Amino acid sequence: MACTHDHSCEDHDCSSSWSLYKHIDLSKVTALNEANPGSVKSVFKAWEERLNSSGEHLESNEGDPELLVYIPFTSDVKIKSISVVGGADGTSPSKLRVFINRDGIDFSDAQSMQPVQEWDLVENLQGVLEYQTRYSKFQSVANITLHFPDSFGGDTTQIHYVGFKGEATQLKRDVVATIVYEITPNPSDHKTRAETGGGLSHVE
Amino acid sequence: MVLEATMICIDNSEWMRNGDYAPSRFQAQADAVNLICGAKTQSNPENTVGVLTMAGKGVRVLVTPTSDLGKILACMHGLEIGGEMNLAAGIQVAQLALKHRQNKKQQQRIIVFAGSPVMHDKKALEMIGKKLKKNSVALDIVNFGEDDGGKTEKLEALLAAVNNNDTSHIVHVPAGPNALSDVLISTPIFTGDGEGGSGFAASAAAAAAGGVSGFEFGVDPNLDPELALALRVSMEEERARQEAAAKQAAEEASKEEKGGEEQDATMTERASEGASEADNKKIEIADDDDTSLQQALAMSMDEPTSSQDLQDTEMSDAAAEDPELALALQLSVQDSTKDSSSQADVSKLLADQSFVSSILASLPGVDPNDPSVKEVLASMQNQSEPQQKQDEDKAPKKEEEK
Repeated sequence: MACTHDHSCEDHDCSSSWSLYKHIDLSKVTALNEANPGSVKSVFKAWEERLNSSGEHLESNEGDPELLVYIPFTSDVKIKSISVVGGADGTSPSKLRVFINRDGIDFSDAQSMQPVQEWDLVENLQGVLEYQTRYSKFQSVANITLHFPDSFGGDTTQIHYVGFKGEATQLKRDVVATIVYEITPNPSDHKTRAETGGGLSHVE
Repeated sequence: MVLEATMICIDNSEWMRNGDYAPSRFQAQADAVNLICGAKTQSNPENTVGVLTMAGKGVRVLVTPTSDLGKILACMHGLEIGGEMNLAAGIQVAQLALKHRQNKKQQQRIIVFAGSPVMHDKKALEMIGKKLKKNSVALDIVNFGEDDGGKTEKLEALLAAVNNNDTSHIVHVPAGPNALSDVLISTPIFTGDGEGGSGFAASAAAAAAGGVSGFEFGVDPNLDPELALALRVSMEEERARQEAAAKQAAEEASKEEKGGEEQDATMTERASEGASEADNKKIEIADDDDTSLQQALAMSMDEPTSSQDLQDTEMSDAAAEDPELALALQLSVQDSTKDSSSQADVSKLLADQSFVSSILASLPGVDPNDPSVKEVLASMQNQSEPQQKQDEDKAPKKEEEK
């Protein structure tokens, strides 16, 4: 097992407590200032894979280590603690500020608003450190925004893994998913069986 | 069908008065804006579009992002041209307007029409571009109009700084026979990132292509035979009418030796108008005194050939009383001495340089210092030289009047 901390793991299963990643709505996760659009989704994985750096990781643009990650959950969750694995050579983030249940935050908002909580991070390449939250403030989190303002001197900021420990409730905030209105039909939305090579026709 | 909020930045600076894009740069730009708004709102009903102007007194948001096409078209009316374009401020205000959009799920996009020279330096533009990229705002640039050294470079640098995965584009539109909107239709600005184009854009492109394909009058006879027939018939009628008019004009010219007048028809009309206006005043002055004199004056302006005797008798009476009347009578006398040609008195007036230049100054679009105009005047003067020699004593009097 990938449990590298020094207590015996028989009484609890580390990986199960870091299971909130299953409740993240991955399709709606977005990040600002990422070098490769969409790479942010790769940082939410199981605890065992947190050190697995063979896949993609989240990296900010050259010369600008600021990162903003927006994470919506499929149901309201309670977050007990957060773990962040950064990159080597000073590309780990040095601070973390979080905002709860706020849509559409951009950099100027993030810099001026008071976060719900903020931490000074250390380089956590083995992923053994976790940062505890003020639990009372994190009782019903529908979405969370992570703001990493700076790195440890590196040109960019790299994030390999972000984990949340806590509980998921069954409550959902908004039930309505994407709706497509069709005032006039758009042919590209209605591919026939012939065009898609035998698949079922579907509306996107 | 990307869900998008778009801000369009319009250039309404002084450079937009130029006519190298028919009918004027500003009009071409407005047409393009209308087309873009239509395409965006059609491709996804939840798309919103906003408009702001970059020149004038300052950057001004005309309409915040809305999906109401009518509002957008209405705000394009009554836009005034003037001032200088402030590209940096325009883009920043657009970014701010997009930040406060109502639906945060929409992607942000700015479309800039850059027609006048760009004053900012490359560094500043690159900083702005980086900021846009950081906040994941896409930027489309339409480079048209002025093309001084460096503008294209600067805009390309701006695009390179903003571009994130080919979501931003730049289009260079040179002046030419094609309308600005037609050129834009085939660009990614309309077709949207290689999705394959919405129905609106595709049909517009087809219409534009149809016009270029070489059908007579731009209408396919197969698609619309009645329209094609009607166009052809009206074209022929017009041609016939023009031929008849030209023929008639040619006949008139040979009859009455009005070749010169044909060319300067406007000028001579104005000159005779001016002369008649001036003389009308004089006629009013003499109103109470002598009705027959009035008649003489009126007739002298219209038809010099008739009632010459009347003029001769009146001249001696009136000459002493009123110098202005005398002037009018002189004109009529000159007419009687020459062959009947209304051109005579007109040319006499034309020979007077100062009078002509005052008339010309009032004509729109004619510059008295234009060399071609001066040539014409010189030729006129040469024609009327023999006349002037006859009436040398009357010339100084005329100078006094003026």
